[in-house]
Amino acid sequence: MKNLDPARAKWMRARGIILGVLLGGLVLNVVGRAWEMQIQQGKAWLEVAEKQRQRKLHVEPRRGRIVDRNDRSLALTVDVPSVSLDLHDLVAGASTPEAQTIRVHDAATRLAAALALDPVELERRMSQKGRFLWVKHRVSGEEAEAVRHLGNAREEANPIRGLGVDGEGRRYYPNRELASTILGFVSPDGQGREGIELFFDQDLRGRVEELSSLRDRAGRLVFTDGTADRARIETEGETIELAIDQSIQFMAEQEIKAAVRNHEAKSGTVVVVDPANGDVLAMASYPNFNPNDYGSFEPEARRNRAIADRFEPGSVMKVFTFAGAFAAGVVQPGELVNCEHGRFRIGGATIHDTHLNDAMTPKEILTKSSNIGSLKVGLRLGAERLHDVLRGFGFGEPTGIPLGGETAGVLHPRGRTWVDLETANASFGQGISVTSLQLAMGFAALANGGKLLEPILVRRIVDGHGQTIREWNRHVRRDATPPHVARMLSEMLVSVTEPGGTAVEAAIDGYRVAGKTATAQKVDPHTGHYSADRFSASFAGYVPAENPRIVIAVTLDEPLLGHFGGELAAPVFRRVAEQSLRYLGVVPARGPARLDAQLTPPAPPPATGAPGIDAKPPVPPAMPNSGAPGAPTRADGANIGLVGADDGPAVPGDLAELPQGRPLVVNEVVVPETTGLPARDAIRVVLGAGLLPRLFGSGRLVRQEPAAGVSIPRGGTVKLVLEPPS
Amino acid sequence: MARGLRPLRRIVPARDHFDWPLFLGIAALCVVGAINLYSATSAAKLALQELYVQQVYWLVVGGIVAGILASVDYRMFEKWAWPSYGVGLVLLVLVFILGRDIRGSSRWLSIGPLSIQPSETMKIALILVLAKHLHTAHGSEHRGLRDLLVPALIAAVPAALVIKQPDLGTGLILSLIFASMVMLLAVPLSLVLRLLGSFIAVVWAVWEFDLLKDYQRARIEAFLNPEHNILGTNWHAHHARVAIGNGGATGWGFMLGTQNQFHFLPDQFTDFPFPVLAEDWGFAGSCLLVTIYAFLVLRALEIAYQSRDRFGAALATGVGALFFWHAVFNLGMVTGLLPVVGVTLPLFSYGGSSVVTDLVGVGFLMSVSAHRQS
Repeated sequence: MKNLDPARAKWMRARGIILGVLLGGLVLNVVGRAWEMQIQQGKAWLEVAEKQRQRKLHVEPRRGRIVDRNDRSLALTVDVPSVSLDLHDLVAGASTPEAQTIRVHDAATRLAAALALDPVELERRMSQKGRFLWVKHRVSGEEAEAVRHLGNAREEANPIRGLGVDGEGRRYYPNRELASTILGFVSPDGQGREGIELFFDQDLRGRVEELSSLRDRAGRLVFTDGTADRARIETEGETIELAIDQSIQFMAEQEIKAAVRNHEAKSGTVVVVDPANGDVLAMASYPNFNPNDYGSFEPEARRNRAIADRFEPGSVMKVFTFAGAFAAGVVQPGELVNCEHGRFRIGGATIHDTHLNDAMTPKEILTKSSNIGSLKVGLRLGAERLHDVLRGFGFGEPTGIPLGGETAGVLHPRGRTWVDLETANASFGQGISVTSLQLAMGFAALANGGKLLEPILVRRIVDGHGQTIREWNRHVRRDATPPHVARMLSEMLVSVTEPGGTAVEAAIDGYRVAGKTATAQKVDPHTGHYSADRFSASFAGYVPAENPRIVIAVTLDEPLLGHFGGELAAPVFRRVAEQSLRYLGVVPARGPARLDAQLTPPAPPPATGAPGIDAKPPVPPAMPNSGAPGAPTRADGANIGLVGADDGPAVPGDLAELPQGRPLVVNEVVVPETTGLPARDAIRVVLGAGLLPRLFGSGRLVRQEPAAGVSIPRGGTVKLVLEPPS
Repeated sequence: MARGLRPLRRIVPARDHFDWPLFLGIAALCVVGAINLYSATSAAKLALQELYVQQVYWLVVGGIVAGILASVDYRMFEKWAWPSYGVGLVLLVLVFILGRDIRGSSRWLSIGPLSIQPSETMKIALILVLAKHLHTAHGSEHRGLRDLLVPALIAAVPAALVIKQPDLGTGLILSLIFASMVMLLAVPLSLVLRLLGSFIAVVWAVWEFDLLKDYQRARIEAFLNPEHNILGTNWHAHHARVAIGNGGATGWGFMLGTQNQFHFLPDQFTDFPFPVLAEDWGFAGSCLLVTIYAFLVLRALEIAYQSRDRFGAALATGVGALFFWHAVFNLGMVTGLLPVVGVTLPLFSYGGSSVVTDLVGVGFLMSVSAHRQS
């Protein structure tokens, strides 16, 4: 269009300019806008965007396990399904408030029916503010399946959207009461409340990782480069490995329980210690509780009496008096001490002996448990040195065991040094108080040649990757007494359990047992005087005397039927010691060697249901019985040593035969029979056997792999195929 | 036979005057657009992830059509003007009878396996008819208002049909193409000003007398109060702006724009491809895209200016206006300068009809350019 007339050309130019300005203006506008948003406000928008897609995620690892010295789980956390609901998703697509209300109502009705909830209450909760709702915690497999069905678009014509069925950790104690007073329990909010659970709460919980995760519009979490991060996240808290041996603990608990019940005592404790390194192999306390259902037990039953209760020890303390006296040289082993024919006045009080003798050697004094002989020796030592000796054996101070609520015991109840009468009393264990654990550690010092060790309850802490991050090893607190004194006393204490001693009941066929009984009157809290009918009976000792492997301290508080330590506590000692020795494979030094004692693998302890023991432990509602005969006992005892061995009642002190004479390799277990059991019981049985269940489906167990009776390594996996009951 | 061969002979001059700058600009736009679409749908559902393949098919189809058109003398198109306009109108009417309803408006016609959007093809038909009219009637640039009655009617009928679908955005584009062509080629300045005045009056009337659909009204109201009601109507605009701002100076990188990857950005492959680009490539990417569009529009105007006759000039102007208004509305909408009206970004948004339409327009431009005076 060239050769235009001037007017047109002018108009063309004008339009060109207008156009240019318009175009330039708009371009500048858009670019300016982009500049403003991307450059000037870029940071602000970035934050807006970040907020939209970032979600701080607190990843709490599964609570760590508590295991015994052989890695058998005493406490573990298992995932139990819980039902959640995303309320945004539920009403997504419903345009009007009316439609939303209808949908909520409908969902509430159906969910309530499936989960046995109150529909009105559920609907009220669903109408709340906020997006996320726990519909029901810890549902059964059947309920979970029903909920999955409700949310499945393929199966349900009108699926409920936003439903989630997720595993929620639940603390589980496969052995129920076993070691309960040591373990403590965990409250529903995941807080360790007592015992190990409380003391090592932080370790068991593990590191809570704060993850900046990304989420998309639907609220789904998206990890872009999070794989490396996720590998770093600990899936499980730290594992606390106790020095406790589940089997010995079990034996100790059975025996103390039987003793408390048979003698109608208020309570009782048994502490089993390895004198070589201070490992606490068992620390039983009865009454105890089932931590799976701690709510139905009195707080009384949850107390770890072996460390929290102090008592007047009585005659067992004579041993330490003599240890001090021998070490100080104030009395000679062969010396005759005047025992005043069983009657001695001191400081306005009269001390009596049950055996009326004029003069006895220290050995005789200990064997006959003469108070007068002991106090004479104690007075020779003097208040200060006697106190120091007792202190030296660890009395009057905490043992340092990693548990809350330990009491130190009291040596100077009046807060001053003893007067003569008090010194005299203290020399045979009156007027002072100790704990069972202190007693056991004191005897352990005699057993190992004079070294007072720190009790080791926790051997090590292992992190989620299997790395040991903390370890407790043999720690000598002090030399309590010279080795020759310890050896000498050991010899003397053997005579206590020999014919003529006060504790013949503690004698074990084939082993030399060193020990000392005590029968202490208790101070009546009302009168302040010694009560005539309230006693504490105890026995502490070790075996074999020449090379002690275990130290056992037994106390029974306020037994009604009988009260002598030699009658009540000594048999408990014997039974626990006998089983433990066999379990530990300690060869008898003399007498006929028993074939089964030669077996290296742990022999099964007597199952519950032994004569004289109430066969039915209380079964709390939270852990329903499988209904299968023998299931409760299986949960208690079958995981010890042998699994799948018939739970036929065994006589205490006698051993169930090994099946078919087939020796079991340690750390191998027989897969138990689970077919036909409900899922929950099947899990329990498998866990109880020291194996890990892997579930497929829900409902009742129809198939298991490997089959029952096959032996596989402990901790192996058993595949459980479940189907809903038709 | 001889008649049929005649257009082919035009290939030779077309090759001589091949408009490389225009071609490169368009090619760049197509490539960047397809890549951006790939990024936009990369995080979407599986079915959507294949969209870019479809887009590439359409680009190829459109490119071939454009190539053929570019090699033909544009004056041939004059003959197709009325027929194509007629077909376009018929299709628009058919939409009401057979159209598929998508999100409250029926815009698509299904022909066999294809879904076409007659409102898109109408743009080209309208440009052709208006160009023919401006070329043949009077031949003067000094028309009065009365002379504009016929072209106004030509534009108003399809625009009304499109708005009725309802598709306000495309209706607006049709009207603006008409206005641009008329004002640049047919009327004196005084009339331009008068028309602008009356346009403003009409806009006011439309608003005042409630001639808009509820959702259209809501969108405009949302535009006027941008940060209100983020979860409601402004939701689209808000997320578009978050994504753009999130891009910063240089962006997150290809397929790394977080708002898009995490599905916060709605309509990321239809109306909001620009935020995807802005988020991936930042301010730099935004400027590049705006530059390409500005260049294309300027080039179209230059071609119009240099064209041999009024038909060519009108054709080029019309295509330039098509690109210009689409780009302005889309970019204005996503940056918050204009209300959200569903207008595609030429050669960037996903959609067969719009891609082919735009490339047909490019073919016209190439042809006019090839046969310009020089």
